[in-house]
Amino acid sequence: MLQAKNLSKTYGEQTALNNLTLTIHEGEIFALLGQNGAGKTTTINCFLGFIAPTSGEVRINGISVGENALETKKHLAYIPETVMLYANLTGIENLAFFSSLAGFNYGKEQLSGFLSKAGLQTSAHAQRVGGYSKGMRQKVGIAIAIAKKAKALLLDEPTSGLDPKASNEFSEILRELAKKGTAVLMATHDIFRAKDVAHRIGIMKEGNLVSVIDAKDISANELEQLYLQTV
Amino acid sequence: MTVLLIKNFLRSKSSLTGLLVLLVAGLISLNIGKYFLEKNKEIIEKTAEYQQKSIARNVAFHPKEIGLLLYYVRFGLVNEMPNLAGLSIGQRDINPSLQSVTIRNLEEQKYATDLMNPLYQMLGNMDFSFVLIYFFPLIIIAFCFNLISEEKEEGTWSLVLSQSVNPLKMLRLKVLVRYASVLVVLLLLLLVAKFYLVIPFDATFLAFILTSILYVSFWFSLAWLVASFQKNSSQNALILLFSWVLLTIVVPAGINAFTVTLYPVPEAFSTVLESRDGYHNKWDEPKEPTVAKFHQHYPQFSQYKHPEGKDYSWLWYYAMQQMGDDEAAADAQAFKEKLQKRNRFNSIAGLFFPTVHTQLSLNALSLSDMDNYLHFLEKLEDFHEQKRLYFYPKIFTEADVSGEDWAAFGLDYFKDKADVDWLRILFPVLIISGLCVVWAKVNFRKNFMVG
Repeated sequence: MLQAKNLSKTYGEQTALNNLTLTIHEGEIFALLGQNGAGKTTTINCFLGFIAPTSGEVRINGISVGENALETKKHLAYIPETVMLYANLTGIENLAFFSSLAGFNYGKEQLSGFLSKAGLQTSAHAQRVGGYSKGMRQKVGIAIAIAKKAKALLLDEPTSGLDPKASNEFSEILRELAKKGTAVLMATHDIFRAKDVAHRIGIMKEGNLVSVIDAKDISANELEQLYLQTV
Repeated sequence: MTVLLIKNFLRSKSSLTGLLVLLVAGLISLNIGKYFLEKNKEIIEKTAEYQQKSIARNVAFHPKEIGLLLYYVRFGLVNEMPNLAGLSIGQRDINPSLQSVTIRNLEEQKYATDLMNPLYQMLGNMDFSFVLIYFFPLIIIAFCFNLISEEKEEGTWSLVLSQSVNPLKMLRLKVLVRYASVLVVLLLLLLVAKFYLVIPFDATFLAFILTSILYVSFWFSLAWLVASFQKNSSQNALILLFSWVLLTIVVPAGINAFTVTLYPVPEAFSTVLESRDGYHNKWDEPKEPTVAKFHQHYPQFSQYKHPEGKDYSWLWYYAMQQMGDDEAAADAQAFKEKLQKRNRFNSIAGLFFPTVHTQLSLNALSLSDMDNYLHFLEKLEDFHEQKRLYFYPKIFTEADVSGEDWAAFGLDYFKDKADVDWLRILFPVLIISGLCVVWAKVNFRKNFMVG
C-alpha cells in the first residue's frame, strides 16, 4: 500500500534521507523510531508529496506521488505532530469542513460519533476550537483521519500532547483500523507505544533506515537497548 | 464547505470590522453626496430668485438707458447636475454648476467663480467614488493578503493538502466568500444611494454599478494573483499595499504631471491678458476703428453708427467689450483644445490603470468630469452670444426699457447627456482582471503542491 523505493533527499551538502526502501502492506502498522533529524518526518512528507525527493520514488496504492500527487490524496489520511484547526469553528465544524474537503458529507450525528470515537468529550464538540488544548485538537485530527476511511494512514508523532489514557485509546483505534486493512506509517519517539501497537519497527539514523525489526520478536526493553545502541 | 467557509470568515472579528468600516464609510459618503446635491439645489434656487430681484431692481434704477441697464444685468445658465453626481462629485466641486454672465466680454467672466475653501479642494470630497476607489481595495487587501499564507502560518495547510484532491477549489471558494461579502456591502450602499439620493434606475446608473463591481473584482483578481505566488503573509501584504499606493496615488499623480508637461497651457495666461488689453486699451484709441472691427464681426449691425465727434456711445462701448473676446479668441480656442487634448490623453492612459479608468468613468457617467465642464463652457458661449444678439439691436436703437418683459428672464438650463459606451467603460478593467486571473491560474498549476 505504502511504497518507498531508493528514496533520497538532500539539501545542498546535507543528506536528510538516504536510499530508503520500505513497503508497508495493507493492515500493517509500521513504526519509525529515531532522533530528531533522523529523517522520519522527511519520509512522511515525501509520502504526502510535500517534499519532492532528490531521487527515488514513493507510491501510494500503486500511484506515484511524484507524478500524481493530488490523486494519491484520495487514499491517505494524515495526522501531523501538532494538529492545527480553524479557531473560529467548533470541533464538529472543523471535522465537517475537513471531511468535505475529502468529499464526504456526514450528518451531525456521524460527525459527533467520529469525535467521540477519537476520545473527544461530547461537551467539547460544539465548542470553538480556539479554546481547545493541544490534546483535544489532536483528537479532532484523529477523528478527521478516521472519517476519511483512507487505505493509508500517515502519522507524525500523533500522540504528542495526549495523556497516557488517550494515547492508549489511540493505539486501540490504530489496531482497529489495521484490522480493517489500513496501512499505517507512524513516526514516533515513544518506544513503548511503538512496541505495543506496531507490527514492524524501523530505526532511523542520519537519513538511513538502519534496522527493521518484527515487534513480536522483541521486548520493549530489548527494543530500547537496540535503539540506544543504534543512535 | 461553503457554509463553513462563510462561518469561519464571519466569525472573525476583523472580517466583520472590515465590512462594517466599509459600510459606515460608504454611508458617510452618501451623506456627503446628499449634502452636495442639496447645496447645489439651494444655490440654483437662490440664484433664480436673486436674478429676478436683481433684474427688477436694476430696471427700477435705470429705467431710461437700456445700454446702462445691460451693463449690470446678469443672466444665469445652470449646468444641470444629475443626482448620480452625489456619488461621484468629480470636478463639480471646483467647476461651477451655475454661471451668471452679463452681455459684456465673456472671457473674463468665464473664470470668475465662487470662492471655495481651499482645504476642501486640496483634500477633495469623501464621496462614494472616493470610498470605492481608496477604501474598498484596502479592505480587500486585508481580507486576501493571507489567503493561503495564513493557512500555512497557522498550520492548517498541511491538513488541507492531505485531505483534498483539489485544494484549489477550497481556495477559490474562500476568495469567493470574501468577494461576495464585499459585493453585498457595495450593492447595499448602492441600493441605499438609489433611494437616499433619488437616483433614477437607468442605463447610466447600471453602468455606474457595473463599473463599481468591476473595480472591486479587479482588486480581488490582483489579490488572487498575489496569493498564487505563495509568498508569506508579510510579503503579500507588502506587494498589495505597494500596488495600492502605486495605483491610487503614484500613477494618477504621475499621469497628471505628465499631461501637464506634455500639454502646457501658456494660453491660460495669455487669454486673460489678450482679453483684458483687448478692451482696456480701446479707451485710449480713436473710437471709429473699434466700431469698424465690430461691424466686420457683425455685418448685420452695420447700419448702427458711432455718432461722429462724440466721445462715448453704447455702440462703441459694447464694440469695445466685444474686442476683448475677439482678440483673445485664438488663444481661448487654443486653450480649449489643449484641455481637450489633456483630457483625451488622460482617458487613454487611464485605460491601463483600473483606478484611473474607474474614477474617470464614474465622473463621466455622473456628468462631473472635465468633458461635461467643457461642454458647459461651449453652451455658455452660445448662451452669451444669443443674449448679445438679442440685446445689441435694442441697445443700439436705445429701445425703451419698459418695452421688455424683464420678468421673463429666468435661469436657463443646460442638460448634458452621459455617453454610456459600454465597451469602453467595462472592457479595460475586465481585460486586466482577466489577465490577473489567468496568470494566477498558470502559477497555481506550476507550483501548487509546495507544502
